[in-house]
Amino acid sequence: MTHAADVPLWAAVPVAFLLLIGAGLALAGSIGLVTLRSFYDRMHAPTLGTTLGIGSILVASMLYFSILQTRFVLHEILIAAFMVVTTPVTLMLLARAALYRDEREGNPDAPPRRPTPVQD
Amino acid sequence: MPDSLLLLALVCLPFLGALAAGLLPTRARDAASGIAGTVALACLGLVWAAYPTVSSGGVLRAEFAWMPTLGLNLTLRLDGFAWLFAGLISGIGALVVLYARYYMSSDDPVPRFFAFLLAFMGAMTGVVVSGNLVQLVFFWELTSLFSFLLIGYWHHTAAARDGARMALTVTGAGGLALFGGVLLIGHIVGSYDLDAVLSAGDRIREHPLYLPALILIVLGALTKSAQFPFHFWLPHAMAAPTPVSAYLHSATLVKAGVFLLARLWPVMAGTDAWAWTVGLAGLTTLLLGAYIAIFQNDLKGLLAYSTISHLGLITLLLGLKSELALVAAIFHIINHAAFKCSLFMAAGIIDHETGTRDIRRLSGLNQSMPFTARLAMVAAAAMAGVPLLNGFLSKEMFFAEALTAEAPLSPLLNILPLAAMLASAFSVAYSLRFIHGAFFGPVATDLPRTPHEPASWMRLPVEILVLTCIVVGLLPAATVGPYLAIAVHGVLGDDVPYYSLAVWHGFNLPLVMSLIALAGGVMLYALLQQRLRGDVEGPPLIRRLDAQRIFEQVMVFLSWRLARRLETLLGTRRLQPQLRLIVGIGLLAGAGAVWLRGFGPGNLPSTPVDPVLALVWMVGAAFALGTAWQAKFHRLAAVMLLGGVGLVVCITFVWFSAPDLALTQLTVEVVTTVLLVLGLRWLPKRFQVAGDRGPEVLTRTRRARDLAIAVGAGCGLAALSYAVMTRVPPELLASHFLERAYTEGGGTNVVNVILVDFRGFDTLGEIFVVAAVALTTYALLRRFRPAADSVEIPEQQRDQDGATQHDDAVRPTADWLLVPFTLTRLLFPVMLVVAVFLMLRGHDLPGGGFSAGMVVAIAILLQYIIGGAAWTEAHLRLRPQIWLGAGLLIASGTGIVAWFFGRPFLTTYFAYAELPLIGKVPTASALIFDIGVFALVVGATLLMLVALAHQSVRGHRAAPRRVGSRAGEA
Repeated sequence: MTHAADVPLWAAVPVAFLLLIGAGLALAGSIGLVTLRSFYDRMHAPTLGTTLGIGSILVASMLYFSILQTRFVLHEILIAAFMVVTTPVTLMLLARAALYRDEREGNPDAPPRRPTPVQD
Repeated sequence: MPDSLLLLALVCLPFLGALAAGLLPTRARDAASGIAGTVALACLGLVWAAYPTVSSGGVLRAEFAWMPTLGLNLTLRLDGFAWLFAGLISGIGALVVLYARYYMSSDDPVPRFFAFLLAFMGAMTGVVVSGNLVQLVFFWELTSLFSFLLIGYWHHTAAARDGARMALTVTGAGGLALFGGVLLIGHIVGSYDLDAVLSAGDRIREHPLYLPALILIVLGALTKSAQFPFHFWLPHAMAAPTPVSAYLHSATLVKAGVFLLARLWPVMAGTDAWAWTVGLAGLTTLLLGAYIAIFQNDLKGLLAYSTISHLGLITLLLGLKSELALVAAIFHIINHAAFKCSLFMAAGIIDHETGTRDIRRLSGLNQSMPFTARLAMVAAAAMAGVPLLNGFLSKEMFFAEALTAEAPLSPLLNILPLAAMLASAFSVAYSLRFIHGAFFGPVATDLPRTPHEPASWMRLPVEILVLTCIVVGLLPAATVGPYLAIAVHGVLGDDVPYYSLAVWHGFNLPLVMSLIALAGGVMLYALLQQRLRGDVEGPPLIRRLDAQRIFEQVMVFLSWRLARRLETLLGTRRLQPQLRLIVGIGLLAGAGAVWLRGFGPGNLPSTPVDPVLALVWMVGAAFALGTAWQAKFHRLAAVMLLGGVGLVVCITFVWFSAPDLALTQLTVEVVTTVLLVLGLRWLPKRFQVAGDRGPEVLTRTRRARDLAIAVGAGCGLAALSYAVMTRVPPELLASHFLERAYTEGGGTNVVNVILVDFRGFDTLGEIFVVAAVALTTYALLRRFRPAADSVEIPEQQRDQDGATQHDDAVRPTADWLLVPFTLTRLLFPVMLVVAVFLMLRGHDLPGGGFSAGMVVAIAILLQYIIGGAAWTEAHLRLRPQIWLGAGLLIASGTGIVAWFFGRPFLTTYFAYAELPLIGKVPTASALIFDIGVFALVVGATLLMLVALAHQSVRGHRAAPRRVGSRAGEA
């Protein structure tokens, strides 16, 4: 924060823009999480934040620190990679749990279950 | 032989013999009695070997340093008085061993008997030769213990068990009192050494703590010597085999009390308090014991009460303010041992040969065992105080003292001669009853066995003892005189008063009193004939005053009612009251501290509140409240909210630049949450019933109170933390650590340097605790049986398993969660790399063994969660126990290595190592220590979590039938 003033304007504008985009996407995802009706709908909303949202912020971070330290700062790529790998795991586990539960409770709002053909 | 060797052998030989006898096979009666007899005779020889020194007034001493700084040494000291007792113990011990060889049945486990008997002999010798009061108390307690074991030797009978327990309770409690008294004496004198104590008589008597010390010591002595009001245990101890009664309950154990009183006589006696406590107890016991003894129908019971009475006589003599009375007391100790021991043996012979000890059934044994009858008659006559026998001499001395003694109050002085005569008459009456009841009258026909004379070896000890009675009675000065003189010299030193051991002192008042008592006793027995033949149990007049009943009531009160009441009052098996108690006490302690010292502002200036952090904290607080709110019915939600609280804490650590803490917090949070969720599965279900009327008033009140306690404790803790964090002490330890972390610890990560270097020993202790906790959890979970309503397999698991019944059962989840499964498998090596990275850089940058271990544990945990226990264990061989053990070995090994370099435990070493490709790397031996921590954390976490996870697998296996039937239906 202390060196923010040292960043030239040509770099500061895209960094700020990217940050705002990321934050806005995260906010939109959060609002969606609150307002959307069914669980399956809600599940999609936070992915805005965890994919494109976090991606924009990470790009902003790379840009900012690379310029500030006058070298390539790239380890945000690792963060992005881990986010990409881990987010689906969480979501699929959640969805699965919800599916089972709805099936048990006979919830009419649940998506219809595809008849599983027995593959031998 | 040097003194120290002699004394050591005297004390240790019996214990060694006991060990040898105890190792013999159960049926080895002859070998065991041979060992016991040899040991007893050897001890007698040792005592005799000490005679030259002791007879010239010398004292044998041996000291072995034990805890010299505390004044506790193993000191053995044999003066004249101790010598006499040691002689009695070993001499009578040898006779009793011979007697017991023939008394004990070959069906009994005789080696055990002799082992206990020898151990008791050693303990008793230890009491008399102790030169240190603490040591004396130690041996004193040992005698109580071995007496307990000997009384309870026939533990298949209830009487033996009860008698043993009662004796142990009474004498053990007395021993405790004695210990207290000894500590007080040691405090007054400044030393526990007997010589120092004996030379500090005036100081002790004038000290303000004299009275408490006196009362405690007298309590110990009175309980041991079965004095009123603690006399009741001795008759019950008669459930012991007769040799035990003859040895412990006439000659040795019960004499320990009077031994102690006589031992401390020079320093503690001479005051009114002493005369009142000791004298009055002795007088009461003398009369009461003799009176009750007349009405006993059991031969051994009669002898037991007679013993109580004679011990009362000795105690009374010790309570009088007169040196001559002390001489009489010591003399009577010897005489009583001789005649009472032989009488017990005679009673044992009668019991052995006829099968009963009931005086009312026994009769006319003079016909069938004339020789034993003669022996018993002489011994009983000695007990009654018939002239020309040893009992007469000490009784004469007692009468003379009763007439001349000083007493604190004159009325006591007046009744003393009368009481003495009365007690003497009683003793004549019970002696007559013993002899007349057992040996005279018509020959009994309904005895369990046909009586005949015992084996001559069994009679030999009785013969020796009776002969002693006669010889001492006839020629006192020539036989017992020198030994008595030695003993009296041992107690009194050089101011021994003049006394005469003649049979005939002329026709004086004591003789008249003796004659009156003899005649009175005979008349009393004749008058009581009618009553004694009846079936009435117990003595007239005081039958209702049963000390035993009072004792039992006290015991029931103490061990049952009081204990139960305290338990219901203070204890609970429910967790909520326990928690309430703990939190309440914590709250009170904190409030007390504030109330005493006040609550002022700290010395640090307050920093402005950052709005972002405040927001984060408000979220955290909301999570915390939500956790409490949901904990009752929605445990899973509560656990998730708790995880949120943990994350907020983690963010706080990051915010305040504590990355190490944040890392640890994050990993611990993950593992804890998984642990809780795994545990939730086994908790009983709890539903909110729709039509519930809501809690009762009482429950509402309780909840309100709990809420108040919780809020109070939480606010208190917050206030405490605030108070701590807003002040800095002038000398902050942290700055010391900050300065020296790199120069002395070789690391720039101060937190890690503290953990593995400065406070390495703490960490070592902590990881041992963690290991113990993990192993305990594992052990507890192995035997875990879930509650009935949580045994059932959860619905989802049932559905899944049902759906995959016809599939390949080995990889059920892999089919269902192929994408997450693959992704987690990909992540596994990455997480391991992260762990290694965290560990290696830990000494200089945030990381370290602990967080690295947690990361590895989490990586494996993820495989479990996604892949399932069966799959993970088929592909990954986890050996948590080996990790655990290796961690402990590595960590402590690092500490030990420092010894080889001549440094203290856990000294660290650091240097820069040149590695190919990577270059110069700072390395410290603390890193190896950290690797140990790492391995331990991995092992402990996995052990606990895997044990919990396996519960599900086991439950699954436990109910396969239901699953099968369900699948069959579908």
